[in-house]
Amino acid sequence: MCREDGSSEVQLGQTHIMGFVTGQLVQPYRDRPNEGTLSIFTEFSPMADPSFETGRPSESAVELGRIVDRGLRESRAVDTESLCVLAGKLVWAIRIDLHILDNGGNLVDAANIAALASLLTFRRPECSLGGEDDLEVIVHPPEEREPLPLIIHHLPIAVTFGFFSSESLLVIDPTHHEEAVMVGKMTATLNANGDVCAIQKPGGEGVLQSVIMQCLRLASRMASDITKKIKDAVETYNTERALRKIKRHPTSITLDGSVNLKEKLNEPSGHNVVNELSRKHLEKPRLASAENASSPGNNGEGESKSSNFGRSSRRDGATSNFVGGAASWDPYSRGVDSDFLKASLASRGTLTPKKKQQDPTGERKPNESKPEESPGDVIPTTSAMDVSETGVHKGGEKTLKDAVKPKHKRKKKAFSSTADAS
Amino acid sequence: MEVDRADGRNPNQLRPLACSCSILHRAHGSASWSQGDTKVLAAVYGPKAGTKKNENPEKASIEVIWKPRTGQIGKPEKEYEIILKRTLQSICILTINPNTTTSFIIQVVHDDGALLPCAINAACAALVDAGIPMKHLAVAICCCSAESGYCILDPTKLEEQKMKAFAYLVFPNSILSVLPEGSSLVQGEPMEHGIITSVTHGAMSVDDYFHCLERGRAASAKLSDFLRRSLQSKLPGDLSKAG
Repeated sequence: MCREDGSSEVQLGQTHIMGFVTGQLVQPYRDRPNEGTLSIFTEFSPMADPSFETGRPSESAVELGRIVDRGLRESRAVDTESLCVLAGKLVWAIRIDLHILDNGGNLVDAANIAALASLLTFRRPECSLGGEDDLEVIVHPPEEREPLPLIIHHLPIAVTFGFFSSESLLVIDPTHHEEAVMVGKMTATLNANGDVCAIQKPGGEGVLQSVIMQCLRLASRMASDITKKIKDAVETYNTERALRKIKRHPTSITLDGSVNLKEKLNEPSGHNVVNELSRKHLEKPRLASAENASSPGNNGEGESKSSNFGRSSRRDGATSNFVGGAASWDPYSRGVDSDFLKASLASRGTLTPKKKQQDPTGERKPNESKPEESPGDVIPTTSAMDVSETGVHKGGEKTLKDAVKPKHKRKKKAFSSTADAS
Repeated sequence: MEVDRADGRNPNQLRPLACSCSILHRAHGSASWSQGDTKVLAAVYGPKAGTKKNENPEKASIEVIWKPRTGQIGKPEKEYEIILKRTLQSICILTINPNTTTSFIIQVVHDDGALLPCAINAACAALVDAGIPMKHLAVAICCCSAESGYCILDPTKLEEQKMKAFAYLVFPNSILSVLPEGSSLVQGEPMEHGIITSVTHGAMSVDDYFHCLERGRAASAKLSDFLRRSLQSKLPGDLSKAG
């Protein structure tokens, strides 16, 4: 999903949208002195569709912005009171930028998911009051104090339906071809609890009441599906992020494990080692996952830690469950399936250039391995144990395989999906 | 002189490159290019009828739109647009489709140093993906020079900010010649040694600049290799995508 806090990339069929969340300290509105603000900016980039133009947002751009905004703001999905730092003086203003990269239809739903996903992964720096009279606000940089996530009460999911001139014909999630011929559409924003947050039916052909009720029922089912997918993706990102944090503090016990890794990598040329290891990984993916799956909870953590020291073979076993096909990943893809309609074209498209890349990087000196590589499999957080590995198995492979390769150390950070050790 | 870079590279080492083409469906050509953590997405929409007001209608014109990651579009973005436009004008064959506009849209996905070179490389790859005729490809690289006179290639954002001066250089792609005569010579020097674009920030001495040029030129050979390889792999599939 994302490489850094507060960013997300959603692919819904052919529609491709990126979301970025940033925060700033500003003065609050006069009539709401202890609430933060949330603003949504949608960029209908000309990249997405030849008919999009820069400059003034078109009607549909404004409508999209309003629907997403309404879903988030009016349903109070984001807790704005927690964004207050100093009542009446300083509050956090959260800004969501949605970039539409590819218009394959149904921008509203995809934009909504992108906004939610990036909000869930956004972290704002912690502030404390200090100085004299406790009136000065100190913003702590992320190195000093862990940034905090936003408080999000529920996830409003938008589901769009398209109606056609034949009475009983209705489609869910229209593509841009269907959008061109449909006569009416309706967007229902619901959350997983079954609450209807918003409904938008802008004109178009009249529709029977029974059809509307049916749409709402369908939408609530879709909403719970999509909510689960978003939550899974965010979980994997969070675990990966936690692992990355551990990378920053190599004083933990992982150092021993990393030494093993270094030795192994320095023997033959990095390239060959990678091939060896990836072959091994291909051979025993199931075995390791079975082993790891059998050790849930804290005990599992301790076990896998201790087992990693001194036995590099076990290490390989531990890492191998993350490496499936060597061919199925794109190190720089930030996209992660966050919707069951996603086609994952981005990752497939980069298949060949990645392979090509292996050659030229052989020429360049491999970066020295960092101890951070190793903890990929060693310290999963306990929550990771329980996270289902179904959704993002592919992503998990990337992280660990990356941990093993000496050249592409950066990509370990680049991986959105987690090193899910279970 | 050896210098310690934050990520352990040596001064002449580039960050890992990745390039993927045809990632968008509506755009006629698209490419994503990343150097380390810097990632840029470029999309091309092929010739559209008509030119803008101040453009010469006897030639094809190029329009570039630069989209930053967050925030409003300001002067730096406009500057990038102009530089990119001039660079692309020199590689595209403008006389083929007069009175048309080709649009480039650049979206910054992540900026970790060397943003403009990354964008130029992405735009080139997108051009090839769209099948727009060009004289030759271009490869762009960023070199910075520090106080003590040594120069390093492909800096990260932190390195860029610390350095005294840096230069973005764009070189033409070296031609893999089919004819035995070798690459074309222009006034005695091989064509690859020319510079298409050079943008410098900060003050550096003339010697430093030439030093950077040499380093950049050497590195651009590696870049062109990578570019050629990643584009060649697309060829069989490309035939089906004839615009």
